Amino acid sequence: MLEYYNPSKDLGTPAILSEILINIEIDGKSISVAEGTSVMRAASLHDINIPKLCATDSLEPFGSCRLCAVQIEGRRGYPASCTTPVAEGMKITTETEKLAKLRRNVMELYISDHPLDCLTCPANGDCELQDMAGAVGLREVRYGFSGANHLDVEKDHSNPYFSFDPSKCIVCSRCVRACEEVQGTYALTIDGRGFDSKVVAGTDQDFIDSDCVSCGACVQACPTSTLMEKSVIDQGQPEHSIVTTCAYCGVGCSFEAQMKGDQVIRMVPYKGGAANQGHSCVKGRFAFGYATHKDRIKEPMIRDSIDQPWRVVSWDEAFTFAAAKIHKIQAKHGRESVGGITSSRCTNEETYLVQKLIRSAFGNNNTDTCARVCHSPTGFGLKTTLGESAGTQTFESIRKTDCIVVIGANPTDAHPVFGSLMRRRLREGASLIVLDPRDIDLLATPHLKRAIHLQLRPGTNVAIVNALAHVIVTENLLDEDFIAKRCATAAFESWKAFISLDKNSPESTESITGVPAQKVKDAARLYANAGNGAIFYGLGVTEHSQGSTMVMGIANLALATGNLGREGVGVNPLRGQNNVQGSCDMGSFPHELPGYQHVGIKAVRDKFEAAWKVKIDHEPGLRIPNMFDAAINGTFKGLYVQGEDIAQSDPNTQHVERALRALDCLIVQDIFLNETAKFAHVLLPGATFLEKDGTFTNAERRINRVRKVMPPLAGLADWEVTMGLSKALGYEMNYDHPSEIMDEIAQLTPSFSGVSYEKLEQLGSIQWPCNDEHPLGTPTMHVTDFPIGKGNFAVTEFIPTLERSSRRLPLLLTTGRILSQYNVGAQTRRTPNMTWHDEDILEVHPHDAQERGINDGDWLGITSRAGHTVLRAKISERMQPGVVYTTFHHPGSGANVITTDNSDWATNCPEYKVTAVQVEKVTQPSRWQQEFQASDKRQKGFLNKRTRHTADNL
Amino acid sequence: MRSAQEQLIHMVNQIGENNQQGGIESAATFTSEHMKKFWARSMKEDIINYLKSGGHGLSETSIAAIKKL
Repeated sequence: MLEYYNPSKDLGTPAILSEILINIEIDGKSISVAEGTSVMRAASLHDINIPKLCATDSLEPFGSCRLCAVQIEGRRGYPASCTTPVAEGMKITTETEKLAKLRRNVMELYISDHPLDCLTCPANGDCELQDMAGAVGLREVRYGFSGANHLDVEKDHSNPYFSFDPSKCIVCSRCVRACEEVQGTYALTIDGRGFDSKVVAGTDQDFIDSDCVSCGACVQACPTSTLMEKSVIDQGQPEHSIVTTCAYCGVGCSFEAQMKGDQVIRMVPYKGGAANQGHSCVKGRFAFGYATHKDRIKEPMIRDSIDQPWRVVSWDEAFTFAAAKIHKIQAKHGRESVGGITSSRCTNEETYLVQKLIRSAFGNNNTDTCARVCHSPTGFGLKTTLGESAGTQTFESIRKTDCIVVIGANPTDAHPVFGSLMRRRLREGASLIVLDPRDIDLLATPHLKRAIHLQLRPGTNVAIVNALAHVIVTENLLDEDFIAKRCATAAFESWKAFISLDKNSPESTESITGVPAQKVKDAARLYANAGNGAIFYGLGVTEHSQGSTMVMGIANLALATGNLGREGVGVNPLRGQNNVQGSCDMGSFPHELPGYQHVGIKAVRDKFEAAWKVKIDHEPGLRIPNMFDAAINGTFKGLYVQGEDIAQSDPNTQHVERALRALDCLIVQDIFLNETAKFAHVLLPGATFLEKDGTFTNAERRINRVRKVMPPLAGLADWEVTMGLSKALGYEMNYDHPSEIMDEIAQLTPSFSGVSYEKLEQLGSIQWPCNDEHPLGTPTMHVTDFPIGKGNFAVTEFIPTLERSSRRLPLLLTTGRILSQYNVGAQTRRTPNMTWHDEDILEVHPHDAQERGINDGDWLGITSRAGHTVLRAKISERMQPGVVYTTFHHPGSGANVITTDNSDWATNCPEYKVTAVQVEKVTQPSRWQQEFQASDKRQKGFLNKRTRHTADNL
Repeated sequence: MRSAQEQLIHMVNQIGENNQQGGIESAATFTSEHMKKFWARSMKEDIINYLKSGGHGLSETSIAAIKKL
């Protein structure tokens, strides 16, 4: 695959995708480069470094600074090397006396309107203007500084993370172009002409009031200190850096953690990162301060009852206490009375160890992970149809997509860096189809040429996917050749007969979905005829009572149109958390050992039993919701939760709280006293991604290295904590480094058999499967066949959810995410990201608002059959009448107090996306919220009043 | 909201309802295999015992599926 950016050098202009080579000569050196390459890039590739200011290789050439002028034999004047493409036989000279004088004159003009405060400037040591002044040999500025200038222009400090100092601006437009080309937001522009031209945010507003999404692309592109991180202004330039992987969403961006000693000064997106290629979002780029927040738990703590203050103990005392409790529970209630939940935020190695502990030290398969409540239907649906529980493509593949289909996902908020790549492709001409009850920002992409929004009613996904397939079949838009060669015939015929039924036609489903039949037909034709059609989906697909059916319906569409097995196409689940893919791969589910190997298969168990030297139960264990039910029933009494906040994130909060209160031993391993930890008896300090080594696997199946940049604040990384607990339980694990854990994973997991830290260092990242057949990994899945041989069409009957609006509960609530906050908000709520979203609000359509006399900012009581909560109102036309929407980033909001116990038929993934509710104006918080506030205060008091005891007086 | 027992009944009925394309016998086989593959031992025991105690609320498919466990 082409590497678009050289991570170690700025080559000035982007790479060109051409296999035709052009021969040129630069400064007497013969060079061959791809057709269309700029003279600047060609020179730079061969270590001839032409001075530049407005050029950088993440942006298209602009040719404004004139510093990169060269001389070309046979051509007049001094063309800009950034905007001049190479031509066969071209002879270029980059250094002559004339060019040197020209460049000095250009620099002189720049510097005549630039503060000469280099020694006190925050960019000192990292300033391209300074570097270029040196490179061109600038020695004097003849114009003086007494004339008109911009030196006293007011600074803008409104953004919490970076400052804008226009006095330092050279109007190179790199920030404006980064906002357009890389981020796709168009928040910045050049206002005015000539001497008056200046960079402005929005309509000449402060950055914070503009459309700026704080992705940091402008800051990164700025060659001076005009746009500068406040952390660098405050603390100075970093002195070393380590490349690691972001611990926010499933995009898995690579970052340079730029450090002073063991202190992170800034996180800079790494150009060599295959997932993000040098781009970032506000979370990964700036919201890392939670790692050293005062709320971090830094000492192990225990207590006998959740009504007691915590007692600080040593690690060994905590492990011994926890192990004794687990053993006591198992002695009284049986081996299966305890279990654990692995974390999709922790590393692959840590997840692997937790499920190993549960299967070995606990002796059962009661292990699950948060994928249960997000993408478990992806696992079931894709494995049934395509044979593998994972997305089929690289992110980069979208650059060859002609029609982008986004279903139940909001990439610009939830997967922002990939959202930007999507927007780039849309600007280049790809068409867009969105299936979503809500109007998402992607539909407002500037320069988007063709888009269809199928704004369906919540809970009708399967009806509409069937209608799309019906059009493809009945209008003979099938890829017959692909189906004949790659798909199981009997399954296809059966599906074809089903999907052709009139009940699946757009006309028949219109009354169910609310989407006009013609729109569905247009969308089906657009996707099927596009050439390369790629489907991207999120939790709006999976978190339904028919989540698994919908995933299969999506796979059916791709199989029917032959949109699988090459670049530009595919079925791509957008994973929510950083390591959801990895936690599933690592055997977190109660029925599967690592690599999706079922516990019921003897040969599989034999392999693991030989390696782990224990007997593995052949029966699946309990899933998270089943654990809650069993806890309330009194048969499940002990739970070990690593890096997961089930009390906030899981549906039907009061049910979850009841289950947690029923436990005799809850062991929580986390970086903060999260909502779940308030019900815990053992609190083991967790480590952030900055404090440990390991790997994350992103939504592309890409295994990326996580590298320790600072020591764990509590002394141990999470994998070491699990080893300590396991040892106390009587099952000793001996690893000196996570690389040894990965070696064991590779030994036991066929799809990881070729993975090692050594190979990861060589390749940068690896997309599994990586084995003898695919030693360098597998960027595109299913190129020649499927793991199950032939593609398997699945019949997808639409069964309406039981959760329906009624006279008592006439509205449908659906939930989602916002850009600045992440999941339960435990991390982002402890950063200045609170500037943008300090409370969850309820979006209500004007029609529904008017009926109820609701205005913006009113307190609204929201009642479902599960519970009642209160949120502030925002009038919004993003949804259709009858649909309300909220986020779940703040625990006190109680968004999950109202979500119900409905779940996907195959996997028990909760139906977060459809809840029948009534909304009315109220004057005070709900009873649950009042109790939450009191409980929160009490539990924080127990933390603050923690005491220190030795083992003797426990 | 459903009790744990009601939830189990709902779950098994839901699996059957979503896989009726081949008729009841086929749906029962699918449901049974699904439970074998994904349900914990205790859940299977509970639903078997529930059927033995009368099985009120279980669909025809569910009853046939549980009998195959």
